[in-house]
Amino acid sequence: MSFRGRLADVAIVGVGSTQQARRLGTTSLHASLEAAKAALADAGLTKDDVDGIAARWPGPGGTVFQPGSADWAGLLGIHVDWIGDSYPQGVPAVLDAAAAISAGLCETVLITGGQAGVMEAEAGKVAKYTRPANEFVEPYGSFTSTQFALVAQRYLHRFPEARGAMAEVAATIRNTGSANPEAVMHGRGPYTAQDVLDAPKVVDPFTRLDLCLANEGAAALVLTTVERARACRAAPVVVLGGGMEWMRQQYVDPPRYEEVRTVGAKAARRAFSMCGLGPEDVDAFQLYDVNSYEVLRQFEAVGLCGEGEAGELVRERGIGVDGGLPTCTDGGVLSFSHIGWGAPTLKIIEGVRQIRGEAGHRQVEGAEVVLAAGAGAGAQYHNVVLLGPDR
Amino acid sequence: MSGVDVAERPRPEPSDLTRPFWEAAREHRLVRQVCDACGRGFFTPQIACPRCLSTAWTWTPSTGRGTVYSATVVHRAPYPGFTSPYHVVMVDLEEDWTMLSNLVGTGEAPVAIGSAVEVDWLELEDEITLPVFRPADEGSGR
Ligand SMILES: [Zn+2]
Repeated sequence: MSFRGRLADVAIVGVGSTQQARRLGTTSLHASLEAAKAALADAGLTKDDVDGIAARWPGPGGTVFQPGSADWAGLLGIHVDWIGDSYPQGVPAVLDAAAAISAGLCETVLITGGQAGVMEAEAGKVAKYTRPANEFVEPYGSFTSTQFALVAQRYLHRFPEARGAMAEVAATIRNTGSANPEAVMHGRGPYTAQDVLDAPKVVDPFTRLDLCLANEGAAALVLTTVERARACRAAPVVVLGGGMEWMRQQYVDPPRYEEVRTVGAKAARRAFSMCGLGPEDVDAFQLYDVNSYEVLRQFEAVGLCGEGEAGELVRERGIGVDGGLPTCTDGGVLSFSHIGWGAPTLKIIEGVRQIRGEAGHRQVEGAEVVLAAGAGAGAQYHNVVLLGPDR
Repeated sequence: MSGVDVAERPRPEPSDLTRPFWEAAREHRLVRQVCDACGRGFFTPQIACPRCLSTAWTWTPSTGRGTVYSATVVHRAPYPGFTSPYHVVMVDLEEDWTMLSNLVGTGEAPVAIGSAVEVDWLELEDEITLPVFRPADEGSGR
């Protein structure tokens, strides 16, 4: 089978990350720079090959007029031909960069980001990026998981039996992460679905084990033309297609289940139509597992089953590395790592490693097509990218 | 009542657009914008009607009665200002608009979707009163 798509003249040629840990004894900028260097080394390129940047700037200093990426050009000591500041991580950054490279605006794009040295100051609070600073939200104690919970509660009101499937999803992904030596939660567990249900409650219906981590680390990518990528160190992973969907600003108006349950469905259809593939062609799903319900919802949104059917789907086919629908094969943001605005990029890195066949003990045999996703119903936006081998 | 920790609770910081909402709340009136051109009610506040983009609209009183669209109980407060457990609800008001809020005056058990509720007022001592909701009284007209 050969893999072509509308953006397949662009490849991810370098991936890099720092250690992922509860706390890193460094700063967000140091960690993001380390990840960037690792991604360039992985590609066999240097900073002087970079002519496009998509990256947040965590400080110190900077972002006087333009946000982020221009500050990085200064730090790296390079002039660039393109910056992507609109959503400089994860799926949108990859799609924006691929479009820019494909259109000839630049040739080689660096994407980097993450967080470090920030979680200690958050003692007694949830992570800052999960506290919507909006006057109609914050005074009611509605943090991001609460907004997702309000969607999940409506789903469970209609499909109460799905609670068991949610628990199985959380246990399976956490067990996948437990076996990953690079995961923050390496060696924790194994967990059963009952362990998930019995864990301390956080916000109904979610217990602590239904919900993702908040930790430290950084992640980076390098994209270039597939032609150039073929001369690089690692096998190119091409961008087969993608789609983005944004309903409104997240965490201001509360999410209505009937509206948000399908967010990402159109993005997935667009991604598949760009390369002539369908959801059954996907070998691994790097879904955005911010909570156990989202995994079910995203299977419904990408078109693998109908509304309320995802519980049965994941039970029948299995979402472990050896299952019929390998999902979050690094352990996801539930168990591997969630590094704030860097987390969406981790999904792409795991996709690349699977397609290169570099995933070691967690390798999905014969993985060719990988779907990676970012954000979900509670956030009222969702993005999808399809990655594949260069052939 | 669980959930109330008035001193530490984050205060809204009204803008020119949203100040009338909070001033009305101070007087125990629940209001939302209603479009003068097409009649659509909308919340959270916007400078124009999201349906027809008219910038002519009027802050209009609500009965404060509605039903629970979705509800959750927070067992671990995300930041100071809340005593767990407490209720976060989405309320569909009878004039066809929706508000995120807290449910007070009930126990720790989750409240059922579809329950009748009515507005109540949480005084934050200074210049801010938060509209919250409590279970509707028996025979309150619903
Ligand atoms: Zn109107």
